[in-house]
Amino acid sequence: MSWDYVLELITNILVTQTGIPNLLFKQVIMMVVAFFFLYLAVAKRYEPLLLVPIGFGIFLVNFPLAPLMGYSEHGYPELLRAFYKYGVEWEIIPPMIFLGLGAMTDFGPLIANPKTLIVGAGAQLGVFITYIGTLFFGFTLKEAASVAIIGGADGPTTIYLTAKLAPQLLGANALAAYSYMAMVPLIQPPIMRLMTTSAQRRIKMRQLRPVSAREKLLFPLIAAILIILLIPAVAPLMGMFMFGNFMRECGVVKRLSDTAQQSMMNIITILLGLSVGATMKAEVFLSWKPLLIFGFGLLDFIVCTFGGILTVHIMNLFVKEKVNPLIGSAGVSAVPMAARVSNSEGLKADRTNFLLMHAMGPNLAGVIGSAAAAGMFIAMFQ
Amino acid sequence: MKIKSLTKFVWLWLACVFLMVAFAEQIVWATFGEEEEKPRPEFTRQDKKITAKLLPRAKSTSVSIDFEVSGAELIDVQGMDFEKAARPEVNHKDFKSALFIIEMLADSPGAEAKVSVSSDFFIRSTQFWIFNQKLETPWMNTGAQNLDHPEHVQELVIKVKDGGPFDSDMNADGRITIIGGPKDSFWGYALGTLFIRYFGIFIVLSILMLGMIFSGKIFQHLEDKKTKATSKPAALTVQVEKAEKPEVADEGITAEMATAIAAALHLHFSGSRASQPMSVSSLRPTAWAQQGRAQTIGERLMMYHRNKR
Repeated sequence: MSWDYVLELITNILVTQTGIPNLLFKQVIMMVVAFFFLYLAVAKRYEPLLLVPIGFGIFLVNFPLAPLMGYSEHGYPELLRAFYKYGVEWEIIPPMIFLGLGAMTDFGPLIANPKTLIVGAGAQLGVFITYIGTLFFGFTLKEAASVAIIGGADGPTTIYLTAKLAPQLLGANALAAYSYMAMVPLIQPPIMRLMTTSAQRRIKMRQLRPVSAREKLLFPLIAAILIILLIPAVAPLMGMFMFGNFMRECGVVKRLSDTAQQSMMNIITILLGLSVGATMKAEVFLSWKPLLIFGFGLLDFIVCTFGGILTVHIMNLFVKEKVNPLIGSAGVSAVPMAARVSNSEGLKADRTNFLLMHAMGPNLAGVIGSAAAAGMFIAMFQ
Repeated sequence: MKIKSLTKFVWLWLACVFLMVAFAEQIVWATFGEEEEKPRPEFTRQDKKITAKLLPRAKSTSVSIDFEVSGAELIDVQGMDFEKAARPEVNHKDFKSALFIIEMLADSPGAEAKVSVSSDFFIRSTQFWIFNQKLETPWMNTGAQNLDHPEHVQELVIKVKDGGPFDSDMNADGRITIIGGPKDSFWGYALGTLFIRYFGIFIVLSILMLGMIFSGKIFQHLEDKKTKATSKPAALTVQVEKAEKPEVADEGITAEMATAIAAALHLHFSGSRASQPMSVSSLRPTAWAQQGRAQTIGERLMMYHRNKR
């Protein structure tokens, strides 16, 4: 065995079996991007439950030669690819998240004041404005729809729709959606103040009527019947959402409801975050697209907030009991952050004006509205 | 503080959007999802009919397009990339199912034939456009007939002539080749569907709202009814209990309790009398009363007189 042979062996090992010589500059940039999102999650507490696994997913997937997002020699998916393939590509994880969300949701405020459903619809304005905007920038119809849904401020809905229509944009869309959801307290208040007068912000709303347990129990059934009959394409999301809520309200499957709310939700969140992060390999992510998507995502959020408040202003022209327009911004979904923002803005205007429960109505309507918008888009391409 | 942060954030993004607008022309032709969504037709032949199965742009489900020819023999149909026929005056997005090369043999040189292209993917406004690079304006509308058929199938019928402008080689050689595809307005569809779907969300949520208001009224009515129903029997029960309780009391009452009740009643009533004290001065006994009192007192005093007892 000569020295040349040994050197060649070492070189071969270094080149083919270690990552260092294969590390590219763009992969290093992606790792910096990953650190940025981890920083946002850990230091700034921006949606840490999602941004930590997403950030770590980005970090892991950008290591050279790491067997994570490819296929084995026998055609089996590698670890993160398996999470992505069976979780996201097969459209399992987003509906499962909706199941957990349903189990966590108390529809009482929405049932007590169903008129707020209209606010949830009005707050989808940004979705459609962005849809047109992105088309001007050369996005295909499917891509435009998947970017537009970011304004719905509903992470699982965004992921579901993007995975279905434009999987190549999944990472950027999911990141934009979750980042902006975390930034709701930053983005919304100036728009809310801009669109309301001080007197309007001080409008006090009548206390919501109590909702009986029986009414809460039947709500998921009634809502599922009406929504799925009208938009069958939304059945996977809405069906799971209402099923989760039915488990919660029926009170006889507490163990299942608890599991859906906690253990299952946590596991799914880890898998989802890693899967989404794993789609953001340097060669896919480093382009104009994510920047455009982030730009349109912000526009989307702003217009959606505007749309929700505008809808309340329009409603106030027709209703006897005036609605505080601050709750309109909660129509963008982002439960319960957007409702909290409405409440805090209401308290700033009047220290005795508690809007939280009133804002939960449009907030929940926003979830249904964004899922309906997603269903509309899915149906459009069928 | 928040406003300052937001202002910075918005300025940053405005700068980005400005840059994006500045480079929009380049970005428009960036690949995006075009490559992924490019239609890739697969052809099958059944007698004189050739069927293309493909996933068109802006669709998630595959469609079939049937090609048939009358007045000529259909030889072959192939798919063609749009890039080869791209011209500034046409938008490739209008051609959702891409382009086809249709080859046929005319019955005789210079003869006419009818090409039939049918699918349930077409709509009444679908046109069939032809590309012929030998012409000054290579793209033209064939003015194809759009016929309705059952099950939403639309048939486009195009008249072509060997050596005519639609024939790619423009030679009357008995062989007709046309390059073209069905065309729909991309922006018309995008904007039309936008409005329909946005108001669709309002309609869906309005229906849900009405359903909830209606069911809410029913529930409230039922709750009210239940409350009334539960309050009425409660009153009756109280009455019944009142009627029945003495029996229970007779059975269960102890001597001490009876004494206590009696004492309480006595105190209550005597108390009420005591609260209205008699004015002694107002009593002016009659003679009859005075005699009665004297007699009573005398009788009481008798006991102290042993001799008279």
